[in-house]
Amino acid sequence: MTIKLSIENLSKIYPTGEGVQNIDFHVNEGELVTLLGPSGCGKTTVLRSVGGFIDPTSGAIKISNKEVHHLPSEKRPSAMVFQSYNLWPHMTVFDNLAFSLKLKKVKKKEIQMKVEEVLTLVHLTGMEKKYPSELSGGQQQRIALARALLLEPEVLLLDEPFSALDAKLRHELREELREIQSKRNLTMLFVTHDQEEALSISDKIVVMNNGHIEQIDNPQEVYNAPNSLFVAQFIGRMNFIKGKSVNNTIQIGDLTFIHNDAYTGDVTIGIRPEDIQLATANTRNIEAQIDKIMMLGHFAEITLKTMIGSLKMFVDRQQMEQFVLKSTIPIQLNNFLVFKETGEVLNNRRMEVYENI
Amino acid sequence: MSKKWKATLLGIGLVMPSFLILLILVMYPVWSSIKTSFTGEDGQFTFEHYIYIFTEPLILTNIRHTLTVTILSCVFVLIIAYSIAIYLRFSQSTVAKWINKTYLIPMFIPGVIAVYGFINFYRDNGWVARIIGDEHMPTIIYNVKGLLMINIWFNIPFTTMLLISALQSIPNSIIEGAKDAGANQWRLFWHFILPLSYRTMLVALTFLFMGIVGSFTAPFLIDKNAPQMLGVSMQQHFSVFNEIEQSSSLAVFMFLLCSIVGYFYIYSNIKESKKEMK
Repeated sequence: MTIKLSIENLSKIYPTGEGVQNIDFHVNEGELVTLLGPSGCGKTTVLRSVGGFIDPTSGAIKISNKEVHHLPSEKRPSAMVFQSYNLWPHMTVFDNLAFSLKLKKVKKKEIQMKVEEVLTLVHLTGMEKKYPSELSGGQQQRIALARALLLEPEVLLLDEPFSALDAKLRHELREELREIQSKRNLTMLFVTHDQEEALSISDKIVVMNNGHIEQIDNPQEVYNAPNSLFVAQFIGRMNFIKGKSVNNTIQIGDLTFIHNDAYTGDVTIGIRPEDIQLATANTRNIEAQIDKIMMLGHFAEITLKTMIGSLKMFVDRQQMEQFVLKSTIPIQLNNFLVFKETGEVLNNRRMEVYENI
Repeated sequence: MSKKWKATLLGIGLVMPSFLILLILVMYPVWSSIKTSFTGEDGQFTFEHYIYIFTEPLILTNIRHTLTVTILSCVFVLIIAYSIAIYLRFSQSTVAKWINKTYLIPMFIPGVIAVYGFINFYRDNGWVARIIGDEHMPTIIYNVKGLLMINIWFNIPFTTMLLISALQSIPNSIIEGAKDAGANQWRLFWHFILPLSYRTMLVALTFLFMGIVGSFTAPFLIDKNAPQMLGVSMQQHFSVFNEIEQSSSLAVFMFLLCSIVGYFYIYSNIKESKKEMK
């Protein structure tokens, strides 16, 4: 696979001391990579550095193996879709789209053709004469995307493009974006703080925290095998139980969790809600009292009181009749992860062994 | 009495005091001036005062002088204030920060004091002449140059303030979007900064024109005796020559001049509002 965008040891330190440090990753051609992290983690700083809107303190940015970090934004082979749409309010949709082509001295007929083509792609044919103020948020963001596509960038940068839209439209637009991306084999660097968005559209996720990268992996790996307590907490839902690991075992109440790492010290056990299920066998059961039931559309979140602490599990809507408030049910824990006190995950992930005493 | 009537009367009652003040202090003098300007010695309707002011060479020269000074002042003030506003909007330098803190100071200095200060500074034997030598000192005071300079000095702060607010309302993201699309500095200015700030420029131009065309203090103290700005000329016709009808005609003419400028401002506002209403 050809590397399209390469970020090497990038650092940007602001006068306040905040910023990003030693950011190092690459995006392959035709890949959609998402920078995911909480607000203030530095993901937008990285994206804006690639776009040329921030001068990095050190490091290199290469697009198609050419250093671009010294170039002004207008000379970089990248285009950006901004969070606030950024359509030019004094220009019609046509002028917004045609502006970059006019700068490139493209012939009038060709401009007309390209604008029509890109409007068809974003499902907004016939909107050429409208002003941005006459468009809805979703339409404005589609035009912003179309404008960026017309630049024919080598790398398309997207800075939380759907965050100002309602949930339904966001869902619709990210599907469209993914479709356009695969149809045109676009290389994209996408910034979001929405983990669901990141998990659903990305080929690769770069999880950032506090100015550095926590994990780079595909969405499945980031979800199933987070390499730190931060990633586990940030991506999806997880139950956490504190314990102490001695001689490959963690004793919590009557339960002994066995793992194959010789680490000795305080640990946190992490269990995904979907990894807690109604017990199907008589072994390795834990008794749990149903404390709370919260309906969340097609599934319910159930809060359980157990001897190892409060746990949350997800239950399908169809299975709900088996769960009665305040009743006691047997559950089993299918997978768990163990994190050191420092937040690092122990080597052997997703251990499935635990025993009742 | 129905509730609707009570509300109507209350509304009229609340508006009436300010409307009456406007009527007595503004509308009546305006009407009175217009009437006087069209009234002859025999009390009959006449155009003779207008014929006089548009045929009398001295007054025609005054009109030309007033328009020249006003237009030149407006042009210089707009160019300088717009340049300062752009610099202050886009520069993060220490110099920009200092200019930002100090550019409004002239607004707080009373006009007469500023003019006398200016005279002391730039007259033939003033401070500048003492520093650079009398022989090198150009004539600034009692000359159109001095009047232009003081007009610029008086009007830059307010114009800059208006323009800065317009430029600050252009989000950085719009500029970044334009740069991202490949716009260089010149295109950024021509296609984005200018179109997005021209309405405020028009407002500033309207204020500038009206303020300068009718100015009195500075032209009275700094300008030469002939030709004169219309404000000074009007005062002389009124108080020195006791030609109330001619000064009224000049006032009406000046009012029409300002109305023309005002019309362009209102027209452009209506046009923009229509666009926004779409």
